[in-house]
Amino acid sequence: MMSVEPLQTALSCIRTLRSNVGVAFEALGNGIRSDHGEEGKETKFLFELQDLLTVVNNNLRDVEQSINNLQPPHNPFNLGNSGFLSHEYAQDRQALYSQLVQSYKWTDKVHEYCSLAHAQLSQNSLTRSYTNTSSAKRRKIQTSSHNVLPIHVDKVINQIERLLPEMNVNIQRPFASNVILHVSVGRVLKAIIAFKGLLIEWIIVRGFSESLDLWTESRFKVFRKVTENAHAAVMRFYMPTMPDVSVKNFLTWLHSFNTLFSDACKGCGLHLRNAMPPTWREFRTLEPYHEECKP
Amino acid sequence: MGVTIVQHYPMTENRTGPQVIEFLTKRVHAMGAAQAGPFLVDCETYNSAPAFGPPRTVHLLNNSEQPATVFSILESGQKQVPLVSDPLFMDLMKKLGSVYTCKQQTRMEAKGPRFEVADFLVKLGTVTMNANFKGVLVEVEYRPCLVPAACWELLREFMQGFLGTCVPNQPPSYLQNRMQDIYQPLDTIQQYLDQFREYRKAVTVR
Amino acid sequence: MAQPLSTAIDTAFKSNIVPDQEYLLQGSILDTSVEHLLHRLRGLCDNVDSGPEQFQDHEMCFTIRTTPTPLSLRVRRALDHTDMPWQLRYIGQPEYGDAKRPTIIRSSIDIGCSASVVEFLTELGCRMDFEYLARGYMFRKGRMKITVAKIVKTNPNKSQDSMQLISESYLVELSVLAPRGQDAIAEDMRSFAEQLRPLVNLDKVDYKRLAHGPP
Repeated sequence: MMSVEPLQTALSCIRTLRSNVGVAFEALGNGIRSDHGEEGKETKFLFELQDLLTVVNNNLRDVEQSINNLQPPHNPFNLGNSGFLSHEYAQDRQALYSQLVQSYKWTDKVHEYCSLAHAQLSQNSLTRSYTNTSSAKRRKIQTSSHNVLPIHVDKVINQIERLLPEMNVNIQRPFASNVILHVSVGRVLKAIIAFKGLLIEWIIVRGFSESLDLWTESRFKVFRKVTENAHAAVMRFYMPTMPDVSVKNFLTWLHSFNTLFSDACKGCGLHLRNAMPPTWREFRTLEPYHEECKP
Repeated sequence: MGVTIVQHYPMTENRTGPQVIEFLTKRVHAMGAAQAGPFLVDCETYNSAPAFGPPRTVHLLNNSEQPATVFSILESGQKQVPLVSDPLFMDLMKKLGSVYTCKQQTRMEAKGPRFEVADFLVKLGTVTMNANFKGVLVEVEYRPCLVPAACWELLREFMQGFLGTCVPNQPPSYLQNRMQDIYQPLDTIQQYLDQFREYRKAVTVR
Repeated sequence: MAQPLSTAIDTAFKSNIVPDQEYLLQGSILDTSVEHLLHRLRGLCDNVDSGPEQFQDHEMCFTIRTTPTPLSLRVRRALDHTDMPWQLRYIGQPEYGDAKRPTIIRSSIDIGCSASVVEFLTELGCRMDFEYLARGYMFRKGRMKITVAKIVKTNPNKSQDSMQLISESYLVELSVLAPRGQDAIAEDMRSFAEQLRPLVNLDKVDYKRLAHGPP
């Protein structure tokens, strides 16, 4: 195995050379500038150019020197079958090699992240996704809730949207298979919901004027409270055997927040309590209550 | 920006301006408010020169909530045209000095403390015209809500809770035609301008 | 905020941080040669990677009868980015200076504003003199802005199809907006203009002399 150090030096020499050539050409491209002053500006410019070219010359010498220090490898690198790629002459296929290296790096990274994620997730016993080791149990849940065809997910969500007049739903799939749902309810709130198949994994509720992302809470206290209640509702409506019903019930519940600011509390009859509107909706009746008034 | 109501708070015989502000501050604190800096809304009025056709008026307003914006409202006959622009517009108005002149004695200002109560923003403004005390304006903003129709009842309950019966059961006249629209910063400015007009008309403190 | 905005603006003007001076050089190039110029500009300017930025602006010129001289105001809006704010612009009388001064200097105030500006200016007592479309390319080199644009006449009563080209050449402008007293930038502009010769001759164009025909 040859040592890596001379190779590194050579590479950094080449980088310096490239950068200084760039500087020289930029100065040449800019031409005479106002900081050359009036008197003898041409000669000053020429001197500057000469200095820059000297630097380039020196860099070139360094590169040559560092290349001389390199030892050619004794035996060819063992690249497996990918080694034959260099025998390919067709121009449009040559790009394969760098893509191959890229995808190798990528798979390596995925492998690393997966093992880290697995270690993290297996410690959390409250998760509703599959990390159970018992294979029989896992298969049963998988078939019902998180392993659903994308077409089926779209169908279920679109059907629910049609039932809820004030709700606007936008389906996105940033990572290929699982749905991130952007929901807006009237002109009151927006929510972002992460699905795994048809299982609701995460939800953030924010104001209608705010932008949506999965990790930032709302600026407003009222929407932070609604987010909290939505998490409770996700748990409440969770039905492993009938995932589409659970999604439908949850979205209907969320839809009832269309009147978040205009409904008075069923318990005390007032709009405000501790300067907050009724942020709780009864799960079955969808009646509004203050946090403090709920039955 | 959330729905905002600008409300005039009537003065009583035996209280001075600072006393009213202090009284209201105590009430706001009782609701669990935290002070969050000062605020300032000011209004300069330019009138067109008599030789320059029909009379026109331009009001230039600033709100410290939108520090990099100037709101201009032009009144020409029955017509009102608003303009929202960069602050450099004020410099342009000065360049029009031979046609539009600013009367220093009509400069209005509302300034005072600013409070946060949960998602509400409460501002207690002392109104002055050319440094003379004219009265007290209270501004209440409910920041999460964008549509006046959706939260008017809630705002009314909040305001009547600490201001008492001076808060009418109807929204301000300017907002009544715009209850279903998305609320804009310009709507706050229009309400201030309406209030400032009333103060200018009034001979004594209101 | 401790002070009213008007006071803050006055302070900003006094401390010379408001860019209200425009340094300007103008020229033109025939349609047939514009490709060469664009090619050269791509090489010289900063935004090489992204390629030249295209623009399409609608400009309306207003005047208001102030004394002693009428004031001219321009309103510009981007037709290709309709969500951008409109631009209201005051441009003062250009100063040509003597032969030693490299560029035209004119005072200029750029104000971003809402779309109600046209109605506002009309009610304010301004009269629209003329309007046109400018479409072309924009380049950037440090603080310098270079536009290469075609001027198109518009007819306010007709649709966009009835537009006619003013000439068979492109207008080339090199400009910098800077606070008062930064004359060094004018020298940089002159050297940059040198590099565009002989494709385009950027110079101080005197409109008054143009109006009287060639000398």
